[in-house]
Amino acid sequence: MAFNARISMPAEARAGEIIEIRVLTRHPMDRGGQSDGKGGTVPRKILNRLTATYSGEPIFRLDMYTGVSANPFVSFTTRALETGDIIFEWREDGGAVFTRTARLTVT
Amino acid sequence: MSLPISPPSRHSESAPSRRDIVVGAAAGIGLAALPNAVMAATQPALSELIARLTDGAVPERGRITLEIPALVENGNSVDTRIVVESPMTEADHVRWIHLIAEKNPFPDMARFHLGPRSGRAEVATTLRLATSQKVTVVAALSTGGYLTSDADVVVTLSACIDGG
Amino acid sequence: MRLKLALGLLIALLGTAAGGEEITSGSAFLSPDLRRQQDDPTRNPGWFWVEQGQGLFGRKPGASQACSQCHAEPEKSLRGAATHYPQVDAGTGQLLNLEGRIEQCRVERQKQPAFGYESGELLALTSYVASLSRGLPMDVETRGPAQPFYNAGRAFFERRQGQLNLSCKQCHDGLVGQKLRGDTISHGAGTGYPAYRLEWNGVGSLHRRLRACSLGVRATQFDYGAPEYLALELYLAARARGLPIETPAMRR
Repeated sequence: MAFNARISMPAEARAGEIIEIRVLTRHPMDRGGQSDGKGGTVPRKILNRLTATYSGEPIFRLDMYTGVSANPFVSFTTRALETGDIIFEWREDGGAVFTRTARLTVT
Repeated sequence: MSLPISPPSRHSESAPSRRDIVVGAAAGIGLAALPNAVMAATQPALSELIARLTDGAVPERGRITLEIPALVENGNSVDTRIVVESPMTEADHVRWIHLIAEKNPFPDMARFHLGPRSGRAEVATTLRLATSQKVTVVAALSTGGYLTSDADVVVTLSACIDGG
Repeated sequence: MRLKLALGLLIALLGTAAGGEEITSGSAFLSPDLRRQQDDPTRNPGWFWVEQGQGLFGRKPGASQACSQCHAEPEKSLRGAATHYPQVDAGTGQLLNLEGRIEQCRVERQKQPAFGYESGELLALTSYVASLSRGLPMDVETRGPAQPFYNAGRAFFERRQGQLNLSCKQCHDGLVGQKLRGDTISHGAGTGYPAYRLEWNGVGSLHRRLRACSLGVRATQFDYGAPEYLALELYLAARARGLPIETPAMRR
């Protein structure tokens, strides 16, 4: 259960309307550097990037460093243009990728 | 019998590390004995951290609202909201918003990349602050300029720290 | 001398009266910002643990039955269950909290190895089951077989402990609302636990919180699930009688 996400946004919007997208993520965002008890240090393991595409077009990107909290919250806005999927993709240190999809219906 | 340490507990984020103390002490010595240039090499000044982002340009103050509590209950998660005044059109929009905590072990905290499709330059996140310090925002505009704003934040010390 | 004694007695009596004052939830001592975050499911990370627990509840562990096969429609069948914990187990005569009851089910009925106190799974299941009683008032039994446990919990609460020689009562009855460094002293109602604590960057049990209290006064830290903390949990739950369950709460 290292990763999970809760995406909150309206399911419907009028064309041209600006909607707010709120993303809460479950992730320890381990900043690393602590002693591992064996003479070494724990490596950094954070989500270093969140990208959002809307009907295939990139609409948002967040680069994250160790200054972003554990279980981070992020919000941003986008203009509703057409009915389509908003795909969220997180990249974790080490290369793992997590995705979630939300559908926006434009009326 | 009680366990010596609890499995899920971690070192307090707000506690200064040994390295912080050593660097702090070194800075103190530097203050007494070394010229400014050498000091700057050990602890990059805020102006340098900003200049690195703006290719040396000095950002203009204003047109940014930085909402962050002046008194933070726990540096592990600090609610932060940034709004930049911008029409967010193809011709004139905010390209990115960058957050710096000068006294964090790693001062760069986050960078939000926006565009005309954002509609508004309005973002929020939860930050991690190692100690009381100035939090700085730098926004890059599509027209070529940069904006900045900052806020002084006091991270209060908890009495009820977790020893397990 | 006699006057002094009488005065002392009077103060002690007044103290008892003050102890009977209305207990408020830990949420009342949060900053408005953190309280808003707690009350907003799009912001409170504790719900991830509830969600995980809900998943575990419906899943078969190995060849055994899933929790949901006995506890069908848990939103109805287990609504209010958490308000009655800790309680004395009729079979063994032992005091069990919610964590203990879940572990008992897992070992005795599902025939699975115990999760272990403070494991991610047990925290998730406990959070889920407690969340099914959100908004319902705490209502633990303190009489009959529970009486000795209640008495032990109360004695623990009132006894001075540790190098700082402080009792729970001195702060959590006498100095409520005052500051301890950056913290505001609460009544010590555990109605939000398991809770998401900023200090932990995650969800933890009430016993984890109590261990931090013990450390704070430089007293012996008891094990997770130790009889001392179970009895104290019962006393705290009895003090909090009538307060709604808030799991998953947020604490600083």
